[in-house]
Amino acid sequence: MSDLFSIFEYQFFQNALAAAILTSVLAAMVGTYIVSRKIVFIGGGITHASFGGIGLAFYMGINPLVGAAIFGILTAVGIEWISEKGKIREDSAIAILWSLGMAMGIIFVFMTPGYTPNLMSFLFGDILSVGALELYLLLAFCLLMIIVFAVFFRPILYTAFDPEFARTKGIPVAGFRYLMSVIMALAIVISIRTIGIILVLSIFTIPQITAMTFTRNFARIMPLAAIWGITGSVAGLLAAYLLDIPPGAAIIFFLTIQFLVIKMIMIIKTHLQRQQ
Amino acid sequence: MSKALVILEGVRTGYFSETVLRDVDLQICPDDFIGVIGPNGGGKTTLIKVILGLQPVFSGKVRFPGGRPKTGYLPQVSQIDKNFPITVKELVNSGLKSKNPWFPHLSFRQLTRVKEMLDEAGLKALSSKPIGELSGGQLQKALLCRALIDRPELLILDEPNTHVDKQFEQELFGWLKELNKEMAILLVSHDIGTISPMIKTIACVNGTLHYHPSNQLSEEVLKVYNCPVDVIAHGPIPHRVLKTHGHE
Repeated sequence: MSDLFSIFEYQFFQNALAAAILTSVLAAMVGTYIVSRKIVFIGGGITHASFGGIGLAFYMGINPLVGAAIFGILTAVGIEWISEKGKIREDSAIAILWSLGMAMGIIFVFMTPGYTPNLMSFLFGDILSVGALELYLLLAFCLLMIIVFAVFFRPILYTAFDPEFARTKGIPVAGFRYLMSVIMALAIVISIRTIGIILVLSIFTIPQITAMTFTRNFARIMPLAAIWGITGSVAGLLAAYLLDIPPGAAIIFFLTIQFLVIKMIMIIKTHLQRQQ
Repeated sequence: MSKALVILEGVRTGYFSETVLRDVDLQICPDDFIGVIGPNGGGKTTLIKVILGLQPVFSGKVRFPGGRPKTGYLPQVSQIDKNFPITVKELVNSGLKSKNPWFPHLSFRQLTRVKEMLDEAGLKALSSKPIGELSGGQLQKALLCRALIDRPELLILDEPNTHVDKQFEQELFGWLKELNKEMAILLVSHDIGTISPMIKTIACVNGTLHYHPSNQLSEEVLKVYNCPVDVIAHGPIPHRVLKTHGHE
Protein backbone atom coordinates (compact mmCIF):
# COMPACT_ATOMS: atom_id res chain seq x y z
CA MET A 1 0.00 0.00 0.00
CA SER A 2 2.85 2.38 0.88
CA ASP A 3 4.18 1.52 -2.58
CA LEU A 4 0.95 2.90 -4.03
CA PHE A 5 1.22 6.18 -2.12
CA SER A 6 4.89 6.63 -2.92
CA ILE A 7 4.00 7.10 -6.60
CA PHE A 8 2.28 10.39 -5.73
CA GLU A 9 5.67 11.86 -4.79
CA TYR A 10 6.90 11.72 -8.38
CA GLN A 11 6.46 14.81 -10.55
CA PHE A 12 5.53 12.79 -13.66
CA PHE A 13 2.70 11.07 -11.76
CA GLN A 14 1.45 14.34 -10.30
CA ASN A 15 1.37 15.73 -13.85
CA ALA A 16 -0.45 12.63 -15.10
CA LEU A 17 -3.00 12.92 -12.31
CA ALA A 18 -3.60 16.61 -13.07
CA ALA A 19 -3.89 15.81 -16.79
CA ALA A 20 -6.43 13.05 -16.07
CA ILE A 21 -8.54 15.38 -13.91
CA LEU A 22 -8.38 18.31 -16.34
CA THR A 23 -9.12 16.09 -19.36
CA SER A 24 -12.12 14.64 -17.51
CA VAL A 25 -13.50 18.11 -16.73
CA LEU A 26 -12.95 19.31 -20.30
CA ALA A 27 -14.46 16.16 -21.81
CA ALA A 28 -17.43 16.37 -19.43
CA MET A 29 -18.49 19.75 -20.86
CA VAL A 30 -17.80 19.13 -24.54
CA GLY A 31 -18.84 15.46 -24.37
CA THR A 32 -22.26 16.35 -22.94
CA TYR A 33 -22.87 18.45 -26.06
CA ILE A 34 -21.62 15.60 -28.29
CA VAL A 35 -23.71 12.88 -26.62
CA SER A 36 -26.86 15.04 -26.34
CA ARG A 37 -26.72 16.00 -30.02
CA LYS A 38 -25.99 12.35 -30.93
CA ILE A 39 -22.92 13.35 -32.94
CA VAL A 40 -20.43 10.86 -31.50
CA PHE A 41 -19.68 9.73 -35.06
CA ILE A 42 -18.63 13.32 -35.92
CA GLY A 43 -16.26 13.20 -32.92
CA GLY A 44 -14.78 10.01 -34.38
CA GLY A 45 -14.29 11.74 -37.72
CA ILE A 46 -12.51 14.72 -36.12
CA THR A 47 -10.29 12.46 -34.00
CA HIS A 48 -9.12 10.26 -36.85
CA ALA A 49 -8.84 13.08 -39.40
CA SER A 50 -6.50 14.89 -37.00
CA PHE A 51 -4.00 12.07 -37.54
CA GLY A 52 -3.43 13.56 -41.00
CA GLY A 53 -2.32 16.78 -39.29
CA ILE A 54 -0.03 14.89 -36.94
CA GLY A 55 1.61 13.14 -39.91
CA LEU A 56 2.03 16.42 -41.80
CA ALA A 57 3.48 18.09 -38.69
CA PHE A 58 6.03 15.26 -38.30
CA TYR A 59 6.96 15.67 -41.96
CA MET A 60 7.34 19.44 -41.63
CA GLY A 61 9.10 19.22 -38.26
CA ILE A 62 6.54 21.29 -36.32
CA ASN A 63 4.56 20.54 -33.13
CA PRO A 64 2.21 17.62 -33.99
CA LEU A 65 -0.59 19.12 -31.88
CA VAL A 66 -0.60 22.21 -34.12
CA GLY A 67 -1.06 20.01 -37.20
CA ALA A 68 -3.75 17.97 -35.42
CA ALA A 69 -5.60 21.13 -34.37
CA ILE A 70 -5.65 22.53 -37.93
CA PHE A 71 -6.86 19.24 -39.43
CA GLY A 72 -9.36 18.75 -36.57
CA ILE A 73 -10.88 22.23 -36.97
CA LEU A 74 -11.06 21.93 -40.78
CA THR A 75 -12.77 18.54 -40.46
CA ALA A 76 -15.25 19.72 -37.80
CA VAL A 77 -16.17 22.89 -39.69
CA GLY A 78 -16.33 20.93 -42.97
CA ILE A 79 -18.74 18.37 -41.50
CA GLU A 80 -20.94 21.14 -40.06
CA TRP A 81 -20.96 22.91 -43.44
CA ILE A 82 -21.84 19.70 -45.30
CA SER A 83 -24.59 18.97 -42.77
CA GLU A 84 -25.99 22.51 -43.18
CA LYS A 85 -25.92 22.48 -46.98
CA GLY A 86 -27.04 18.85 -47.20
CA LYS A 87 -25.47 18.26 -50.60
CA ILE A 88 -23.62 15.13 -49.49
CA ARG A 89 -24.91 12.71 -46.87
CA GLU A 90 -23.37 13.68 -43.53
CA ASP A 91 -22.34 10.12 -42.57
CA SER A 92 -20.68 9.61 -45.96
CA ALA A 93 -18.76 12.90 -45.61
CA ILE A 94 -17.57 11.87 -42.13
CA ALA A 95 -16.40 8.48 -43.44
CA ILE A 96 -14.48 10.18 -46.28
CA LEU A 97 -12.76 12.71 -43.97
CA TRP A 98 -12.11 10.02 -41.32
CA SER A 99 -10.27 7.68 -43.73
CA LEU A 100 -8.64 10.50 -45.71
CA GLY A 101 -7.11 11.89 -42.50
CA MET A 102 -5.75 8.50 -41.48
CA ALA A 103 -4.42 7.87 -45.00
CA MET A 104 -2.67 11.25 -45.12
CA GLY A 105 -1.19 10.63 -41.68
CA ILE A 106 0.24 7.27 -42.75
CA ILE A 107 1.66 8.75 -45.99
CA PHE A 108 3.35 11.70 -44.25
CA VAL A 109 4.75 9.54 -41.44
CA PHE A 110 6.10 7.15 -44.11
CA MET A 111 7.68 10.08 -45.98
CA THR A 112 9.24 11.57 -42.81
CA PRO A 113 12.97 10.76 -42.78
CA GLY A 114 14.22 8.74 -39.82
CA TYR A 115 12.27 7.33 -36.91
CA THR A 116 9.17 9.05 -35.44
CA PRO A 117 9.45 8.11 -31.77
CA ASN A 118 6.41 10.07 -30.55
CA LEU A 119 3.98 8.56 -33.04
CA MET A 120 2.76 5.84 -30.68
CA SER A 121 2.14 8.39 -27.92
CA PHE A 122 -0.31 10.22 -30.22
CA LEU A 123 -2.03 7.01 -31.28
CA PHE A 124 -2.40 5.48 -27.82
CA GLY A 125 -1.73 8.48 -25.54
CA ASP A 126 1.14 8.98 -23.11
CA ILE A 127 -0.25 10.56 -19.99
CA LEU A 128 2.92 9.78 -18.00
CA SER A 129 5.00 12.10 -20.20
CA VAL A 130 2.66 15.13 -20.05
CA GLY A 131 4.79 18.19 -19.33
CA ALA A 132 4.11 21.47 -17.53
CA LEU A 133 3.42 23.37 -20.75
CA GLU A 134 0.80 20.84 -21.86
CA LEU A 135 -0.78 20.99 -18.41
CA TYR A 136 -1.01 24.78 -18.54
CA LEU A 137 -2.58 24.50 -22.01
CA LEU A 138 -5.13 21.99 -20.70
CA LEU A 139 -5.88 24.18 -17.66
CA ALA A 140 -6.29 27.33 -19.78
CA PHE A 141 -8.60 25.58 -22.25
CA CYS A 142 -10.58 24.05 -19.39
CA LEU A 143 -11.12 27.47 -17.78
CA LEU A 144 -12.04 28.97 -21.15
CA MET A 145 -14.64 26.24 -21.68
CA ILE A 146 -16.14 26.81 -18.21
CA ILE A 147 -16.57 30.48 -19.16
CA VAL A 148 -17.96 29.65 -22.64
CA PHE A 149 -20.50 27.16 -21.26
CA ALA A 150 -21.50 29.50 -18.42
CA VAL A 151 -21.99 32.54 -20.69
CA PHE A 152 -23.51 30.77 -23.70
CA PHE A 153 -25.28 27.94 -21.89
CA ARG A 154 -28.78 28.71 -23.18
CA PRO A 155 -27.98 29.25 -26.88
CA ILE A 156 -25.73 26.17 -26.87
CA LEU A 157 -28.56 24.10 -25.35
CA TYR A 158 -31.30 25.53 -27.57
CA THR A 159 -29.35 25.23 -30.84
CA ALA A 160 -28.39 21.66 -29.97
CA PHE A 161 -31.96 20.68 -29.08
CA ASP A 162 -34.10 22.35 -31.76
CA PRO A 163 -32.06 24.48 -34.18
CA GLU A 164 -35.05 25.44 -36.34
CA PHE A 165 -37.03 26.75 -33.41
CA ALA A 166 -33.93 28.55 -32.09
CA ARG A 167 -33.67 30.34 -35.45
CA THR A 168 -37.25 31.56 -35.14
CA LYS A 169 -36.19 33.19 -31.85
CA GLY A 170 -33.36 35.05 -33.53
CA ILE A 171 -30.53 32.93 -32.11
CA PRO A 172 -27.58 32.83 -34.56
CA VAL A 173 -27.76 29.04 -34.91
CA ALA A 174 -25.10 28.69 -37.62
CA GLY A 175 -22.68 30.84 -35.57
CA PHE A 176 -23.11 28.68 -32.47
CA ARG A 177 -22.91 25.43 -34.43
CA TYR A 178 -19.57 26.49 -36.00
CA LEU A 179 -18.31 27.75 -32.64
CA MET A 180 -19.11 24.38 -31.07
CA SER A 181 -17.45 22.56 -33.99
CA VAL A 182 -14.20 24.44 -33.37
CA ILE A 183 -14.49 23.81 -29.62
CA MET A 184 -15.09 20.08 -30.21
CA ALA A 185 -12.04 19.84 -32.48
CA LEU A 186 -9.74 21.69 -30.05
CA ALA A 187 -10.99 19.75 -27.00
CA ILE A 188 -10.43 16.43 -28.77
CA VAL A 189 -6.95 17.40 -30.02
CA ILE A 190 -5.85 18.68 -26.60
CA SER A 191 -6.99 15.40 -25.03
CA ILE A 192 -5.09 13.25 -27.55
CA ARG A 193 -1.85 13.46 -25.51
CA THR A 194 -3.65 12.00 -22.48
CA ILE A 195 -5.68 9.19 -24.03
CA GLY A 196 -4.53 8.89 -27.65
CA ILE A 197 -6.35 9.09 -30.98
CA ILE A 198 -7.66 5.54 -30.83
CA LEU A 199 -9.30 5.90 -27.40
CA VAL A 200 -9.97 9.62 -26.91
CA LEU A 201 -13.61 9.47 -27.94
CA SER A 202 -14.38 7.21 -24.96
CA ILE A 203 -13.68 9.93 -22.40
CA PHE A 204 -16.05 12.21 -24.34
CA THR A 205 -18.88 9.67 -24.18
CA ILE A 206 -18.65 7.04 -21.40
CA PRO A 207 -18.77 9.40 -18.36
CA GLN A 208 -21.68 11.28 -19.99
CA ILE A 209 -23.64 8.06 -20.58
CA THR A 210 -22.89 7.08 -16.96
CA ALA A 211 -24.16 10.48 -15.76
CA MET A 212 -27.30 10.10 -17.89
CA THR A 213 -28.33 7.04 -15.87
CA PHE A 214 -28.87 9.54 -12.98
CA THR A 215 -30.18 12.64 -14.73
CA ARG A 216 -31.59 13.82 -18.04
CA ASN A 217 -30.86 17.47 -17.35
CA PHE A 218 -28.14 18.94 -19.61
CA ALA A 219 -26.85 21.29 -16.88
CA ARG A 220 -26.54 18.47 -14.33
CA ILE A 221 -25.00 15.93 -16.71
CA MET A 222 -21.84 18.07 -17.06
CA PRO A 223 -20.70 18.09 -13.39
CA LEU A 224 -21.76 14.45 -12.91
CA ALA A 225 -19.83 13.40 -16.03
CA ALA A 226 -16.80 15.26 -14.66
CA ILE A 227 -17.03 13.29 -11.40
CA TRP A 228 -17.38 9.93 -13.19
CA GLY A 229 -14.59 10.90 -15.59
CA ILE A 230 -12.25 11.78 -12.71
CA THR A 231 -13.00 8.63 -10.67
CA GLY A 232 -12.61 6.38 -13.72
CA SER A 233 -9.42 8.00 -15.00
CA VAL A 234 -7.72 8.20 -11.59
CA ALA A 235 -8.61 4.55 -10.91
CA GLY A 236 -7.29 3.64 -14.36
CA LEU A 237 -4.09 5.55 -13.77
CA LEU A 238 -3.44 3.80 -10.43
CA ALA A 239 -4.27 0.41 -11.95
CA ALA A 240 -1.84 1.14 -14.80
CA TYR A 241 0.90 1.78 -12.26
CA LEU A 242 0.13 -1.29 -10.11
CA LEU A 243 -0.35 -3.72 -13.01
CA ASP A 244 2.20 -2.09 -15.33
CA ILE A 245 -0.25 -1.71 -18.20
CA PRO A 246 -0.76 1.24 -20.65
CA PRO A 247 -2.55 4.09 -18.75
CA GLY A 248 -4.75 5.25 -21.67
CA ALA A 249 -6.24 1.78 -22.15
CA ALA A 250 -6.55 1.27 -18.36
CA ILE A 251 -8.51 4.56 -18.03
CA ILE A 252 -10.99 3.54 -20.74
CA PHE A 253 -11.30 0.08 -19.18
CA PHE A 254 -12.16 1.58 -15.77
CA LEU A 255 -14.59 4.11 -17.27
CA THR A 256 -16.42 1.22 -18.94
CA ILE A 257 -16.41 -1.00 -15.85
CA GLN A 258 -17.70 1.92 -13.80
CA PHE A 259 -20.53 2.49 -16.31
CA LEU A 260 -21.49 -1.20 -16.39
CA VAL A 261 -21.53 -1.52 -12.57
CA ILE A 262 -23.64 1.64 -12.16
CA LYS A 263 -26.01 0.58 -14.93
CA MET A 264 -26.43 -2.83 -13.34
CA ILE A 265 -27.11 -1.30 -9.90
CA MET A 266 -29.72 1.02 -11.42
CA ILE A 267 -31.42 -1.87 -13.25
CA ILE A 268 -31.56 -3.95 -10.04
CA LYS A 269 -32.85 -0.92 -8.09
CA THR A 270 -35.62 -0.29 -10.64
CA HIS A 271 -36.51 -3.98 -10.65
CA LEU A 272 -36.76 -4.06 -6.84
CA GLN A 273 -38.85 -0.87 -6.77
CA ARG A 274 -41.30 -2.39 -9.28
CA GLN A 275 -41.64 -5.52 -7.12
CA GLN A 276 -42.53 -3.52 -3.99
CA MET B 1 -60.05 45.26 -42.73
CA SER B 2 -57.16 45.04 -40.30
CA LYS B 3 -53.58 45.38 -41.51
CA ALA B 4 -52.05 42.07 -42.67
CA LEU B 5 -49.32 40.51 -40.52
CA VAL B 6 -47.79 38.54 -43.38
CA ILE B 7 -48.23 38.80 -47.15
CA LEU B 8 -46.88 36.21 -49.59
CA GLU B 9 -46.87 37.32 -53.23
CA GLY B 10 -46.10 34.90 -56.07
CA VAL B 11 -43.73 32.89 -53.88
CA ARG B 12 -41.78 30.06 -55.46
CA THR B 13 -39.56 27.96 -53.24
CA GLY B 14 -38.07 24.51 -52.84
CA TYR B 15 -34.92 22.59 -52.04
CA PHE B 16 -31.81 22.73 -54.25
CA SER B 17 -33.19 23.04 -57.80
CA GLU B 18 -36.48 21.26 -57.04
CA THR B 19 -39.54 23.52 -56.74
CA VAL B 20 -41.89 22.47 -53.94
CA LEU B 21 -44.24 25.48 -53.95
CA ARG B 22 -45.03 27.91 -56.74
CA ASP B 23 -47.28 30.93 -57.34
CA VAL B 24 -48.21 31.14 -53.66
CA ASP B 25 -50.29 34.15 -52.67
CA LEU B 26 -51.45 34.35 -49.07
CA GLN B 27 -52.35 37.07 -46.63
CA ILE B 28 -52.55 36.49 -42.87
CA CYS B 29 -54.51 39.07 -40.86
CA PRO B 30 -54.56 39.47 -37.04
CA ASP B 31 -57.89 37.67 -36.47
CA ASP B 32 -57.39 34.90 -39.04
CA PHE B 33 -57.67 31.20 -38.22
CA ILE B 34 -56.46 29.46 -41.36
CA GLY B 35 -56.49 25.70 -41.73
CA VAL B 36 -53.77 24.57 -44.12
CA ILE B 37 -54.51 21.17 -45.60
CA GLY B 38 -52.89 19.08 -48.26
CA PRO B 39 -51.35 15.68 -48.99
CA ASN B 40 -47.99 14.50 -47.67
CA GLY B 41 -45.21 16.14 -49.65
CA GLY B 42 -47.59 18.85 -50.89
CA GLY B 43 -45.55 21.64 -49.31
CA LYS B 44 -47.49 22.40 -46.07
CA THR B 45 -44.39 22.42 -43.84
CA THR B 46 -42.40 24.31 -46.51
CA LEU B 47 -45.10 27.01 -46.49
CA ILE B 48 -44.71 27.33 -42.70
CA LYS B 49 -40.94 27.60 -43.05
CA VAL B 50 -41.29 30.40 -45.61
CA ILE B 51 -43.51 32.36 -43.20
CA LEU B 52 -41.09 31.71 -40.32
CA GLY B 53 -38.14 32.88 -42.41
CA LEU B 54 -36.48 29.45 -42.28
CA GLN B 55 -36.85 28.76 -45.98
CA PRO B 56 -35.47 31.17 -48.59
CA VAL B 57 -37.68 31.84 -51.62
CA PHE B 58 -36.54 31.42 -55.25
CA SER B 59 -38.83 34.23 -56.42
CA GLY B 60 -41.76 36.30 -55.21
CA LYS B 61 -42.03 38.35 -52.03
CA VAL B 62 -42.66 37.73 -48.35
CA ARG B 63 -43.74 41.01 -46.73
CA PHE B 64 -44.46 42.00 -43.14
CA PRO B 65 -46.33 45.34 -43.40
CA GLY B 66 -46.05 46.10 -39.67
CA GLY B 67 -42.59 44.57 -39.25
CA ARG B 68 -41.97 40.89 -38.61
CA PRO B 69 -44.72 39.79 -36.19
CA LYS B 70 -43.92 37.95 -32.98
CA THR B 71 -44.45 34.35 -33.98
CA GLY B 72 -45.06 31.24 -31.91
CA TYR B 73 -44.26 27.95 -33.61
CA LEU B 74 -45.29 24.44 -32.68
CA PRO B 75 -43.42 21.95 -34.89
CA GLN B 76 -44.52 18.41 -35.60
CA VAL B 77 -43.89 16.35 -32.47
CA SER B 78 -41.99 13.80 -34.57
CA GLN B 79 -39.31 16.48 -35.13
CA ILE B 80 -38.61 16.64 -31.39
CA ASP B 81 -35.88 14.41 -29.96
CA LYS B 82 -37.56 13.09 -26.82
CA ASN B 83 -34.26 11.64 -25.59
CA PHE B 84 -32.54 15.03 -25.53
CA PRO B 85 -31.65 15.94 -21.92
CA ILE B 86 -33.76 19.07 -21.53
CA THR B 87 -36.29 19.77 -18.79
CA VAL B 88 -39.85 21.00 -19.35
CA LYS B 89 -38.99 24.37 -17.75
CA GLU B 90 -35.94 24.88 -19.98
CA LEU B 91 -37.97 23.84 -23.03
CA VAL B 92 -40.51 26.59 -22.30
CA ASN B 93 -37.70 29.09 -21.50
CA SER B 94 -36.37 28.49 -25.02
CA GLY B 95 -39.53 30.14 -26.39
CA LEU B 96 -38.55 33.50 -24.90
CA LYS B 97 -36.86 35.92 -27.23
CA SER B 98 -33.94 37.83 -25.82
CA LYS B 99 -32.78 41.33 -26.80
CA ASN B 100 -29.26 40.04 -27.36
CA PRO B 101 -29.40 36.64 -29.11
CA TRP B 102 -25.69 35.92 -28.42
CA PHE B 103 -26.07 36.51 -24.68
CA PRO B 104 -29.69 35.60 -23.98
CA HIS B 105 -30.40 36.72 -20.46
CA LEU B 106 -33.85 35.92 -19.09
CA SER B 107 -35.33 38.51 -16.75
CA PHE B 108 -37.01 37.70 -13.44
CA ARG B 109 -40.32 38.76 -15.01
CA GLN B 110 -39.84 36.35 -17.94
CA LEU B 111 -38.97 33.45 -15.62
CA THR B 112 -42.04 34.21 -13.50
CA ARG B 113 -44.18 34.10 -16.64
CA VAL B 114 -42.79 30.64 -17.46
CA LYS B 115 -43.74 29.44 -13.96
CA GLU B 116 -47.24 30.88 -14.31
CA MET B 117 -47.75 29.36 -17.74
CA LEU B 118 -46.61 25.91 -16.59
CA ASP B 119 -49.02 26.25 -13.67
CA GLU B 120 -51.91 27.21 -15.98
CA ALA B 121 -51.11 24.30 -18.32
CA GLY B 122 -51.08 21.86 -15.39
CA LEU B 123 -47.38 21.12 -15.93
CA LYS B 124 -46.03 22.71 -12.72
CA ALA B 125 -45.27 19.35 -11.09
CA LEU B 126 -43.42 18.24 -14.22
CA SER B 127 -41.36 21.43 -14.73
CA SER B 128 -38.08 19.84 -13.58
CA LYS B 129 -38.71 16.56 -15.39
CA PRO B 130 -36.92 15.76 -18.64
CA ILE B 131 -39.18 15.83 -21.70
CA GLY B 132 -38.52 12.11 -22.23
CA GLU B 133 -40.72 11.36 -19.20
CA LEU B 134 -43.77 13.13 -20.62
CA SER B 135 -46.75 11.52 -22.35
CA GLY B 136 -47.63 12.56 -25.90
CA GLY B 137 -50.28 15.02 -24.67
CA GLN B 138 -48.03 16.48 -21.96
CA LEU B 139 -45.22 17.02 -24.47
CA GLN B 140 -47.62 18.71 -26.88
CA LYS B 141 -48.81 20.96 -24.01
CA ALA B 142 -45.20 21.85 -23.13
CA LEU B 143 -44.45 22.63 -26.78
CA LEU B 144 -47.56 24.80 -26.97
CA CYS B 145 -46.41 26.65 -23.83
CA ARG B 146 -43.05 27.25 -25.58
CA ALA B 147 -44.87 28.61 -28.62
CA LEU B 148 -47.06 30.91 -26.52
CA ILE B 149 -44.65 32.14 -23.85
CA ASP B 150 -43.50 35.12 -25.91
CA ARG B 151 -47.13 36.27 -26.42
CA PRO B 152 -47.09 35.89 -30.21
CA GLU B 153 -49.23 37.81 -32.71
CA LEU B 154 -49.18 34.80 -35.03
CA LEU B 155 -49.31 31.19 -33.87
CA ILE B 156 -48.23 28.51 -36.35
CA LEU B 157 -49.00 24.88 -35.56
CA ASP B 158 -47.80 21.95 -37.65
CA GLU B 159 -50.03 18.88 -37.20
CA PRO B 160 -50.68 19.56 -33.47
CA ASN B 161 -53.21 16.74 -33.12
CA THR B 162 -50.93 13.85 -34.05
CA HIS B 163 -49.68 11.47 -31.32
CA VAL B 164 -52.38 12.72 -28.91
CA ASP B 165 -55.65 11.11 -27.82
CA LYS B 166 -59.10 12.39 -28.82
CA GLN B 167 -59.74 13.92 -25.38
CA PHE B 168 -56.57 16.02 -25.55
CA GLU B 169 -57.34 16.94 -29.14
CA GLN B 170 -60.69 18.43 -28.08
CA GLU B 171 -59.01 20.25 -25.17
CA LEU B 172 -56.36 21.64 -27.56
CA PHE B 173 -58.95 22.84 -30.06
CA GLY B 174 -60.85 24.57 -27.22
CA TRP B 175 -57.67 26.49 -26.26
CA LEU B 176 -57.00 27.44 -29.87
CA LYS B 177 -60.51 28.92 -30.23
CA GLU B 178 -59.82 31.07 -27.16
CA LEU B 179 -56.33 32.02 -28.34
CA ASN B 180 -57.70 33.15 -31.70
CA LYS B 181 -59.35 36.07 -29.88
CA GLU B 182 -55.84 37.42 -29.24
CA MET B 183 -53.76 36.18 -32.17
CA ALA B 184 -53.84 34.92 -35.74
CA ILE B 185 -53.53 31.17 -36.08
CA LEU B 186 -52.29 29.08 -38.98
CA LEU B 187 -52.90 25.40 -38.37
CA VAL B 188 -51.52 22.72 -40.64
CA SER B 189 -53.35 19.43 -40.78
CA HIS B 190 -53.83 16.58 -43.20
CA ASP B 191 -57.34 16.14 -41.85
CA ILE B 192 -59.93 18.77 -42.82
CA GLY B 193 -62.77 17.00 -41.00
CA THR B 194 -61.21 17.38 -37.57
CA ILE B 195 -60.20 21.02 -37.85
CA SER B 196 -63.11 22.50 -39.83
CA PRO B 197 -65.33 23.27 -36.80
CA MET B 198 -62.91 25.86 -35.46
CA ILE B 199 -61.03 27.29 -38.46
CA LYS B 200 -62.39 30.28 -40.37
CA THR B 201 -60.75 29.74 -43.75
CA ILE B 202 -58.95 26.98 -45.62
CA ALA B 203 -55.76 27.02 -47.67
CA CYS B 204 -55.27 23.90 -49.80
CA VAL B 205 -51.59 23.25 -50.47
CA ASN B 206 -50.35 20.82 -53.06
CA GLY B 207 -47.46 22.31 -54.99
CA THR B 208 -49.39 25.56 -55.08
CA LEU B 209 -51.93 27.18 -52.75
CA HIS B 210 -55.62 27.75 -53.16
CA TYR B 211 -57.46 29.84 -50.61
CA HIS B 212 -61.08 29.08 -49.65
CA PRO B 213 -62.85 31.80 -47.63
CA SER B 214 -64.87 29.22 -45.73
CA ASN B 215 -64.25 26.62 -43.02
CA GLN B 216 -65.88 23.85 -45.03
CA LEU B 217 -64.97 22.31 -48.33
CA SER B 218 -68.57 21.75 -49.37
CA GLU B 219 -69.45 20.21 -52.71
CA GLU B 220 -70.51 23.68 -53.88
CA VAL B 221 -67.21 25.23 -52.84
CA LEU B 222 -65.31 22.41 -54.46
CA LYS B 223 -67.19 22.98 -57.70
CA VAL B 224 -66.55 26.72 -57.64
CA TYR B 225 -62.88 26.26 -56.95
CA ASN B 226 -62.49 23.05 -58.91
CA CYS B 227 -60.79 21.61 -55.85
CA PRO B 228 -61.09 17.83 -55.74
CA VAL B 229 -61.12 16.37 -52.24
CA ASP B 230 -61.39 12.64 -51.76
CA VAL B 231 -62.96 10.86 -48.82
CA ILE B 232 -60.42 8.44 -47.46
CA ALA B 233 -61.10 6.06 -44.58
CA HIS B 234 -58.01 5.96 -42.45
CA GLY B 235 -57.83 5.83 -38.70
CA PRO B 236 -60.84 4.94 -36.54
CA ILE B 237 -63.13 7.56 -38.12
CA PRO B 238 -63.33 8.01 -41.91
CA HIS B 239 -62.72 11.65 -42.72
CA ARG B 240 -62.08 13.97 -45.64
CA VAL B 241 -58.55 14.42 -46.72
CA LEU B 242 -57.27 16.45 -49.62
CA LYS B 243 -55.74 13.80 -51.82
CA THR B 244 -55.19 15.43 -55.17
CA HIS B 245 -55.45 18.98 -56.23
CA GLY B 246 -56.59 20.41 -59.53
CA HIS B 247 -54.92 23.78 -59.63
CA GLU B 248 -51.79 22.78 -61.49
